[in-house]
Amino acid sequence: MDFYDWMLALHLLAAFAVAAALVLFSVLVVAGRRMTTLEQTKALFRMGSLGGPLIGIGMGLVLVVGVVLAIDSDDYQLWDAWVIIALVLWAVSGFVGARTGTYYTGVQELAQKSGSEAEVLARLRAPTGVRWHAATVVGFLLLVLDMIFKPWA
Amino acid sequence: MSALATVRPDDINVALLVHVLGAMVLVGSLLTAAVATIVGWRDEGDTLRRLSYKTLLFAALPAFILMYAGALWTYDKESLDALAEDPRWVEIGFMTADLGGLLLLIALILGGIGLWRSRSGGGRPLLRASGVIAALLVLVYVVTVWAMGGKPN
Repeated sequence: MDFYDWMLALHLLAAFAVAAALVLFSVLVVAGRRMTTLEQTKALFRMGSLGGPLIGIGMGLVLVVGVVLAIDSDDYQLWDAWVIIALVLWAVSGFVGARTGTYYTGVQELAQKSGSEAEVLARLRAPTGVRWHAATVVGFLLLVLDMIFKPWA
Repeated sequence: MSALATVRPDDINVALLVHVLGAMVLVGSLLTAAVATIVGWRDEGDTLRRLSYKTLLFAALPAFILMYAGALWTYDKESLDALAEDPRWVEIGFMTADLGGLLLLIALILGGIGLWRSRSGGGRPLLRASGVIAALLVLVYVVTVWAMGGKPN
């Protein structure tokens, strides 16, 4: 395996880390809407602590290693359309993902501090968080589609 | 799964997309199941252990089928069967997929019995065993993703 192969493997592993975190959060979002007590909700939030670092490190590595790959490769360049699309989708997904994180961190703080059970459960069932999370997932899916189909390559 | 960052004919891309999306959801759901088991290891309630098993059943199993079907489809589209012998990365892929499928099946059976027993207050060791197998599978598939990306000879 040469340098390019190692970087490609790392790029793929980073993408899988992001995908894994998104699946974890998806399960938490769906399960959170079915919770009936504050204790159950707190148990769920304990699981979420892994997802944040995983998605953060994964997104960072995907970008850095992706740029290294584009510079290293003779087959494509940083200014190719599909690479630029990927960079834009990465930024949009990152922004939307951060908004999702802010929403659920707020609910978590409410659950762990002063919030009433009814208020916490209502926020978990509200469509706001689900919509932000769905938008993040769609952004990531578009990124994967762009990586595989490479439009205008 | 082939490398994401090489230019391929479009008819292979659909098969690859099915394979990659299946693999991403598979790894994510296995990680979620493992995290739920580890985080909820000492919990009195069964919320996280049940969540772990349901994630395996409703997310990991369908994702495994999608991943495997996509792998066979991609293998066929790329005419890899025309080679005298499979490249090492293909061997690693099929070996870990077959082994992983068997372990997933064992985890589902153990977890299913554990879930059934949990109605009468038991079943915890079996649900934990199911989650531990999921954690083991995450490690196996990290190696697989590395092999699919780097394609070692």
